[in-house]
Amino acid sequence: MKENKNISGFKTPENYFDDFEKRLFNRISEEKFPKSAGHKVPDGYFENLEDRVLKTVINSEKPTKIIPLFPKKYFGYAAAIAACLLIGFTLFNTKTDNSSLDSLQLAAIDTYIEDGNLNLDLYDLTSYIDDEDITDLNFENQQFSETTLENYLLENVDEEILINEQ
Amino acid sequence: MVEEQELVTALQTEAEKESAFRELVTQYKERLYWQIRNMVLDHDDADDVLQNTFIKIFRNINSFKGDSKLHTWMYRIAANESITFLNKKAKRNNVSMENVKDNALRNLESDVYFEGDQLQLQFQKAIATLPDRQRLIFTMKYFEDHTFEELSEILETSVGGLKSSYHIAVKKITEFIKTQDETL
Repeated sequence: MKENKNISGFKTPENYFDDFEKRLFNRISEEKFPKSAGHKVPDGYFENLEDRVLKTVINSEKPTKIIPLFPKKYFGYAAAIAACLLIGFTLFNTKTDNSSLDSLQLAAIDTYIEDGNLNLDLYDLTSYIDDEDITDLNFENQQFSETTLENYLLENVDEEILINEQ
Repeated sequence: MVEEQELVTALQTEAEKESAFRELVTQYKERLYWQIRNMVLDHDDADDVLQNTFIKIFRNINSFKGDSKLHTWMYRIAANESITFLNKKAKRNNVSMENVKDNALRNLESDVYFEGDQLQLQFQKAIATLPDRQRLIFTMKYFEDHTFEELSEILETSVGGLKSSYHIAVKKITEFIKTQDETL
């Protein structure tokens, strides 16, 4: 092949021509894909969306109204019964009760969080944490075994991205 | 259209917050909706996730420091909300993510808000085979036409990594469609 006599001074990124075919064929197959996803929305959906979103946002900000379980008029009776029970309990029950937050099993808390009952995500969490808390975090004492870490990485890390980012 | 910086200032000023938020919803409702819809497929689910996304934006706007652009930050919230929603749905119904996707696809065939033809349905099935993050990258690039540079800011991943993920996604989709055609 004849070599270019005059040099333009342009150059290409490293390995540009190595995978050119690969990229080109990828592009060609992409051309065959349908241009739209095929989804549609109900008529007028976007027209009043602002009002609905604002209503939801404002409602979610309002403190919820608390309906008392026991109306005030029963307070007197309830207090009297409670007092009797308390006295009876202290007089006749000498056993100590060990139930406290500390005795709540960690596994129970884990299950509670894993089941999605603690409805926090990254944005909620960051709003509770300030810079000082972040510096106070100590990751060295974390009790993750190597197998746990390895399993986590195998399941959650996209190796292709990692290889590419190297 | 109100400039983004002005909008951020207004959103962080108590007196103007509500009207600025209304403007924000007007500007971004459709773009965020389609991003979400392409992930969750069903219209009602997309509506739920869109509302949650805006609630999150409203609640956290005061802590928005401007390290990234406002729209980048919003797209990121919508992306995270979509994936969180799908995971929660799987957990709630006590099924795997694969089941959630399979059900969504099955529903698509009878969905009144899906007007795709056979090819589009097959395309959706192929997209559903991708892992979540790859699916997010593919749909955001292919249907919403984000550049890799924008996606890199939104998803906080390198351009190289995104390009690679996207190309792998295209390859997987092509292969899926090919296998389906052969079995027909």
